[in-house]
Amino acid sequence: MLLEVKQLNAGHGFLQILWDVSIQIDVGEYVCIVGPNGAGKSTTLKTIAGLIKPISGQVLFKGEPIDGIGGHKVTRKGIAFISEEMNLFTNMSVQENLLMGAYILNDKDLIKRRMTYVYEFFPRLAERRSQLAGTMSGGERKMLAIGRGLMSNPALLLVDEPSFGLAPQLTATVFESLDKLVQEGLTILLVEQNVTKTLAVTRRGYVLENGRITLKGKSSELACDPHVRKVFLGV
Amino acid sequence: MPERFLSWLKSAAGITILLTLFLAAYATIDRGPYILVNTAITGGMLALVAIGLALLLGVMNVASFVHGEYFMIGTLAAYYVFTPLNAYLTENPSPFLTNAAPLIAILSAAAVGAAAGALTEILVFAPMRRRSRENWVMNSFLLTVGLAVVLINAHLLIFGADFKGIVRYWPGRPFTIMDVFISRDRLFAFLISIIVILVFWLFMKMTRTGRAIRAVSQDETGSLMVGINLTGILIFTMALGCSLAAVAGASLLFLYPSYPTVGLEALYMAWFIVILVGLGNIIGALTGGFMVALLKVLTVEYIGSGWDFVVPTALIIIVLIFKPSGIFGSEVRGALEK
Repeated sequence: MLLEVKQLNAGHGFLQILWDVSIQIDVGEYVCIVGPNGAGKSTTLKTIAGLIKPISGQVLFKGEPIDGIGGHKVTRKGIAFISEEMNLFTNMSVQENLLMGAYILNDKDLIKRRMTYVYEFFPRLAERRSQLAGTMSGGERKMLAIGRGLMSNPALLLVDEPSFGLAPQLTATVFESLDKLVQEGLTILLVEQNVTKTLAVTRRGYVLENGRITLKGKSSELACDPHVRKVFLGV
Repeated sequence: MPERFLSWLKSAAGITILLTLFLAAYATIDRGPYILVNTAITGGMLALVAIGLALLLGVMNVASFVHGEYFMIGTLAAYYVFTPLNAYLTENPSPFLTNAAPLIAILSAAAVGAAAGALTEILVFAPMRRRSRENWVMNSFLLTVGLAVVLINAHLLIFGADFKGIVRYWPGRPFTIMDVFISRDRLFAFLISIIVILVFWLFMKMTRTGRAIRAVSQDETGSLMVGINLTGILIFTMALGCSLAAVAGASLLFLYPSYPTVGLEALYMAWFIVILVGLGNIIGALTGGFMVALLKVLTVEYIGSGWDFVVPTALIIIVLIFKPSGIFGSEVRGALEK
């Protein structure tokens, strides 16, 4: 088991959002959390990433507890979080953003290899190497955010709403690149509002409603589930 | 490139810099090169204090009104290191130590300033940040004002109200440049400010920690996501900013003896600069340091020494009315990029 979330309760300040959320992910899996707006999907990812301290419950990564140890330490354990708002360093160049992504790495050769890998993965970023991140288009910024996450050589990628604010074609490109990463052996936990698309590409899924997991199973089965179809797909 | 340069010339920053250069050239021809020399020395030191202030604003979001007290701590540390060294030297002359003693004093002032800054972050800002981040800018600002009062009175209580000054750092005849006599102390003060600014610049651009400081100033959540230890960076930034002010204080000890409120003038001038160029703008703080210095020197020269606070203040009021974000404000963002 790569990631094990046990009975997680979390929220912002006094407002509790997650109620007893449990998630398990194995190495190499492509798992999604789907759910309506405000269900707590982003909160789940932020809590796993260490940006929110849980009220109770446990997050185990490779068997080690990582809840409440702080965002920067979670990154060091091998989890990369790509947030919805991306949190890029807008006044740094693409190259510098990627270098910051490798902040936790000390081996210069490894940093160079990761850089080459990311530039090969997103050739677009190589073209824009010296451009400031803040001046790029939405799709390019999303690529940079994923690229920066990949720089730290993570074992688990948490991706929050990769399609947010993107045109349909760009969304397709981003989904393709995530697919490719899974084929290369990376484990991904994806959070999306675009339910049809998400359930079509991932292998397993959780349905989060009002901060509770209401359904889980194979993505193909979830896509056929009458409740999911009624609530999310409107059929 | 020429078009970009032309449009920069037409921007507020370009116009101001051109105007400054013109004023400097005119005054130099009119009154003599000593105007330039005075501007360079005052400007370098003002820039050191203002860069520290801009760093705290850009990275920590702290509008520091206690920054002058680190200047004061710098003068104090340099005085208590240099005076015994100097007394020892009069009894046991040593040419090498005579030249090294001022540097030892200034370096120890830098260390003491850094320690004071780090302690301030650990004991004052970190506990407040843990409790609440609401109204952070206002609360931290009020905290710095209170801290300034405490530090000034601590100086009064422990070291007394009298002037603790030195006659000179480096003995010897003054240098002559462009028919102007420049005392060794003034020349070295200028060189120190230039070297410190250069090292600081390279540090922010080239090193991993420097990049991390800039990253924190641009996106705190993002910097946590890439694995930056925010607590450590905040302590380090505070230490760095305060250390710069302490170096300025120590280097100018021969001009301003140490007394409880010696830091206030440096603080006000640094705030003039920071407001003039835009909050949290480090490159701006550097150019602004020399601009305000020129303004001060020219005011003393042409109007009278009692007016050297009035003219910069009046200018800042005008700048704030027409360009509330500062003259560099619109084009630049981030701790170093601004």
